[in-house]
Order: sequence, then C-alpha cells, then structure tokens
Amino acid sequence: MDARIDLNNIGFDFDLTKRNAGLEANGATAPKATKTGTTIVGLLFKDGLVLGADTRATEGPIVADKNCEKIHYIAPNMYCCGAGTAADTEFTTNMISSQMELHRMSTGRESRVVTAMTLLKQYLFRHQGHISAALVLGGFDVTGPHLYTIYPHGSTDKLPYVTMGSGSLAAMSIFESRWRSDMERQEAIDLVKDAIEAGIFNDLGSGSNVDVCVIEKGKVDYLRNYARPNERAQKEQSYKFPRGTTAVLKTSIRDLVQVTEDTAMDIST
Amino acid sequence: MFLTRSEYDRGVNTFSPEGRLFQVEYAIEAIKLGSTAIGIETTEGVLLVVEKRVTSGLLEADSIEKILEIDSHLGCAMSGLTADSRTMIDHARVEAQNHRFTYNEPLKVESVTQAVCDLALRFGEGAEGEKSIMSRPFGVALLIAGVDENGPQLYHADPSGTYVRYKAKAIGAGSEGAQTELQDDYFQTMGLVEAEDLALKVLKQVMEEKLNVKNIQVASVTAADGFQIYPDEKLQAIVDRL
Amino acid sequence: MHVRPSTHPTSQAKEAAFSPYEDHGGTNLAIAGPDYCLLASDTRQSNGYNINTRFAPKTFKLSNKSVLATAGCQPDCAMVTTRVKQSMLTYKHNHNKEMSTSAIAQMLSIMLYQRRFFPYYDFNILGGLDEDGKGCVYSYDAVGSYERVPCSAFGSASALIQPFLDNQVRNKNQLGKPKVTEFEPVTPLPLAEALRICKDSFTSATERDIYTGDYLQIFIITREGVEEQIHELKKD
Repeated sequence: MDARIDLNNIGFDFDLTKRNAGLEANGATAPKATKTGTTIVGLLFKDGLVLGADTRATEGPIVADKNCEKIHYIAPNMYCCGAGTAADTEFTTNMISSQMELHRMSTGRESRVVTAMTLLKQYLFRHQGHISAALVLGGFDVTGPHLYTIYPHGSTDKLPYVTMGSGSLAAMSIFESRWRSDMERQEAIDLVKDAIEAGIFNDLGSGSNVDVCVIEKGKVDYLRNYARPNERAQKEQSYKFPRGTTAVLKTSIRDLVQVTEDTAMDIST
Repeated sequence: MFLTRSEYDRGVNTFSPEGRLFQVEYAIEAIKLGSTAIGIETTEGVLLVVEKRVTSGLLEADSIEKILEIDSHLGCAMSGLTADSRTMIDHARVEAQNHRFTYNEPLKVESVTQAVCDLALRFGEGAEGEKSIMSRPFGVALLIAGVDENGPQLYHADPSGTYVRYKAKAIGAGSEGAQTELQDDYFQTMGLVEAEDLALKVLKQVMEEKLNVKNIQVASVTAADGFQIYPDEKLQAIVDRL
Repeated sequence: MHVRPSTHPTSQAKEAAFSPYEDHGGTNLAIAGPDYCLLASDTRQSNGYNINTRFAPKTFKLSNKSVLATAGCQPDCAMVTTRVKQSMLTYKHNHNKEMSTSAIAQMLSIMLYQRRFFPYYDFNILGGLDEDGKGCVYSYDAVGSYERVPCSAFGSASALIQPFLDNQVRNKNQLGKPKVTEFEPVTPLPLAEALRICKDSFTSATERDIYTGDYLQIFIITREGVEEQIHELKKD
C-alpha cells in the first residue's frame, strides 16, 4: 500500500462553492436564505451566566419572523444563541445537540461546555466559513460556568461578557459601561435585557422581543419573551370583508361519491 | 437746450446733462409716424383695431399684417417700424410657449408684456453676461391684448421698455386725437360690440383715407374664443353699422 | 512535497469605485380626495442596518396648496426641494402669483429630466389642491415621468402599501364597491377614513419593513390650508 498522502486529495471539497460563485458571476441568482440580523449576548454573573437574544428574522429589508427563537438547546445544562443564516444556526446547534446527547449516553456523564465548543469550532472550520453561524455558547458543567463565542470560520473566544450579530456593537456598549464580575442574578438579567434592547432599537437587523436564558448550577431558566417592548399598535379600523366581496368567476360542482338506489346489504349474521 | 441735444443725441449709452436719452426719445417719436392702432379693454374681452396704409392700388392689402397672434390667448397690435416688431413678437411667442412647456399653463398678459419690455432695453453695447441684440432702440410701440385668470387686459409697451395698462389706448400718427376721443366716449360697462363701434368711429376720424374693410384690421381676444382676427364679412358688418 | 498552485494571486489591481448614490430608506404615501389631499411619510433615516436619525422629515410644505414628499438619497431630496422652492419664489416674483400645483408638477418633471443622465436619486410625490379645489396627487420616477393618480405609495415599503391602497382606496378586487380607475383624479373617500387607512398603512409597514418606523408625519391639505400632524411609530 502506498503510504504517501496526496495533498491535493485531502480535506473537504469546495468545488460546488466555486461552481456557484461562477454561476452567480454569470448572472444566476442563488436562492435567498433567511438571515437573523440579530443581537445575541451572554455574560457571567456571580452564580452562573445569562444568555440573551432578540427575536427578529429578516429576508433582506423584510421582517420574515417577528418572534423567532434564537436561543437553541444544546444540553440540559447548556444553551447556544445563533446569529447568521437561520438554517445554518438551527442545523448546526441541532446536530451538536444530538452529538452531545449520544456522548452523554455513552459516557454516562454530564456534558461539558468545552466539548460542545470544540465540536462546533471543528465543524465550522471544516466548512471554511461557508456555514454562516456566529454563536454564543453558554453552560454550567462540573468545572463551573463557561461562556464562549464561536465565529463562522471556527475561531473561539472565552470571555466574561460577549455579544454577536449585527447589533453586537450596540449591545457591547451597554456591557462595557455596566458589566461587573460580581453581579446578582436579577442585575445580570436586567443588564442582558438592556443590551438586547440597545440592539433592538439601534440596529435595523434586530427587533421585536427579548429572550433570556439563565443558567446556574443544576438549574436553567428559559425566559421566552422576557421583555416585549414592541407591541403592535391597535389598528384604526377593521378590514373584515363582507361575504361575497370576492368575485366568483366560475362554479363547478362535482359528485365525488355516486349514490345509487339499491337494497341495503344484509350485514346481520 | 437744442444745442446740447446735438451733442448728446448720437450715443445710445450716453445721458444728456439734463438726464435724457435722446435716442430712446427719438424712437418714441418714430412711432408717431406709424399708422394708428387702437386697443379697448371691455368686460367681454379686448379689441384691437389698426389702420393699414394701402398706399397704392397695386398693393395687396392682405399682405400688410399689423395685428399678430402671440399665443391662443394673447394678441398684439403695433405701430412704428413694423420690421422691429418681428424680433419682439418672436421673443414674446417663444416666451409664451416656454411658459406652457415649463408650467403647463398659459402665460399671463402682464408677464408677456414684461418679457417684451426686457428685450426693449437690450440695445447698445450690452451689459455683462447679456448679449445686446440691437445697436439702437426699437422703433415700435405695441398694444398687447390678452385674457388670463385676471380677466381681459390691455397693455401698452413703448421703446423705453415702459409698460402701462390701459382701458383704452391709441398709438401712432393719429394717437393724440384718438386718445382724446376714447377718453370722452369710453365707459366701464362697455361690451365688445360697443367697443367695435367706438374704435372704428375714432379710427375713421383720424384716418387720412376713407375707412373701408381693406384698409383696417380688427381682432379680439376673449375668454371663450381666445385671439381671433375678424374676417372680411364681420368687418363689413361693423363698417356698415358706422 | 506537493505545493498546491495558488489560484488567487495575493495582490491584484483594484479600481476603487465611487458611488454617488445612497439609499436612506423611508416611505411616502398620498391620497387625493374630493376636497382634500393627504400626504404622509415616516421620519426614519437609515443607512444599511444603522439609523442615522429617527426624525428626518422628508416631506415639505411648498405653499398653502401644495406639499412635496421625497424619498431616496437624502441630499438629492434636499437639493430637489430647495430648487423647487427657489423656482417657486422666482415664479412669484416674475408673475405676481403663487404657483398652482399643476404648474409645480410640470416644472418638477422638467427639473428631473434635465438630469436624465445623472439623475437625482429621489422619488417624489407632489400633493395638493388643483384649480377646482379638488385633491391632486402627482407621482414621479427619478427622471421626471409623472402622472396624476388618485393615490400612491413610494419608498422602501411601497411594495407593502401600494396593494393595500389599491384594495382599500381604489376598491380593487372588491365586488359591490365602486371602482376608482386610473383615469379618475380623486378617490371618493371621506378624509377621516383616508386618515385611518393612512395610519394603518404605516403601522403595518413598520411591522415588516426594517427601514420604516420612528415617527409618522401627516400633511392634510384643505381649502383652509395645510395641517401637520406627528404620530408615533414603533422604534425597533
């Protein structure tokens, strides 16, 4: 057997990526993906960590979903906020979540945040940034609370307070001015809420409501729609159409069942 | 005074010590040599009447045009050097069309008069940024008649670039006598028919030749029909009424 | 050792392109009624995902009878508005009267077409009262094509609002309601209902268009003059 490795034939094959770029250069348009313009954040506090996200999903200038979920489940002690292409964040976190569950089954131990982080960064690096998922991963394991950011190309950071997505600058401005290392639980939740709201109001890619997830030792609080600062205003009038408003152009009634006159079958035994 | 005049009357750009521009004054004098033209503003519209000097039996009277259309709602009668009036009428026509193009509406009577008067002063060497088009002042006076949102109006414009609105105005050789007559017989509630009678009566008095359909031209501007030159039959009817 | 030949040279000559145009978002709407005209715009000015300011009015009163709504590139909109106002003043001096809405409409068209090959990035709606006191709305493209319409929506959320107006103002696709065709200059809607439709258009557009929001500015032009209202919109 030939022991030499052909360097030209190792790793991933990005031929299709090149083909798509070529097609687009020649005028073809690729299908548009839903992006989560997004503000996502996370911070450590005295007893654990808090994750936060807005709930707007966009397709270009249009709001595709006004109340989507951006804090994804990874493990019972671990959640992950996703920014980027909605499908990529969803599938990536789902897949890692599944791997973590299998890992728990075979080891019989609680999942560690560093494991999920490593799986994620290796997966994203393998795809050379073509999977656009920017993540904030947080969890509480046997070694304590951990907070990571993972970029689409596979790099990671481990920091006490992090922000990601198009609203990251707005959110970080709040963290930079008010974060402290010894915050109480409610203080931390309020700070996360304010950071997400900074994104919601100052970044057009983010909007609607604030989702919060508090992870402490042996305890997770997923606070869906913790704040709803953008309720829709009451409409000025009703737009109910009276019956018959839509024109009937053609009527065609067909009998789907043929009813024939006959003597009933005797089913008595 | 006449001595100073001879020294200062040559240049169009030089005031005399008394503060006069002789060339402009002479231009106004030139009009007094022209045929008589009368305009009367009535409640129904404006009437323009001019005398045509048919000096020879061989002359085609129809070829003398002293009343011209500027726009469908604007007309003009002239006296003086008719050739000079061409430039002014052309300018007025362009101005009226330009206004329609730019604003999708007819030009006001006062505005077209103003436009013509702006042109009247562009003689001599020409000011900076503005090309002069004539070496001397125009030798023509205009009676501009029209109807706009302010109703029927009659304006008189002279070579000095001055314009004034009149109820009735006569220009040309017989203007002095005619103006007095108009002053006496004009009344506020006058209609077009009464104006026709008055104008022709006055014109008849100041004309050297005997007035007939061949040596006059009449036009009216009304809100309903706009500018209209009277055809011979209509003219004949008025002459017959005299 | 095998070295893969590089397909991308590390340095390549690049031409720095200058683009004079920017889209600052925002939406305008106009409805012409039997004796009124209604113009409305949001006041958000944005650039990409950023909000430049929450209150940048882009609809301007020109006279007691006309109002101009602009959308597109803010400096271009400002320039067009300034030039229209300036020309209106010159016109007033020259002709001793206020310009009519139809005269402004024609003049604006020419102003835009003069820049046919370097257009103002500006989509205008001119609204006001015509000579008979009826409401009138003129809608334009960037190079001066214009027409009088019963109602119109322009700007970033126009694709969301225009079909709604077609249905609610011009009664399109509604059996048993009188149609308002393109050829009719005004809609029969009473002012109060037009105002309700206008507000609902904007609160709904704010829900789904990221470039529309913050405040709603409404101009109501009637025989009495021009009334201006400001309402709140969502700020996310």
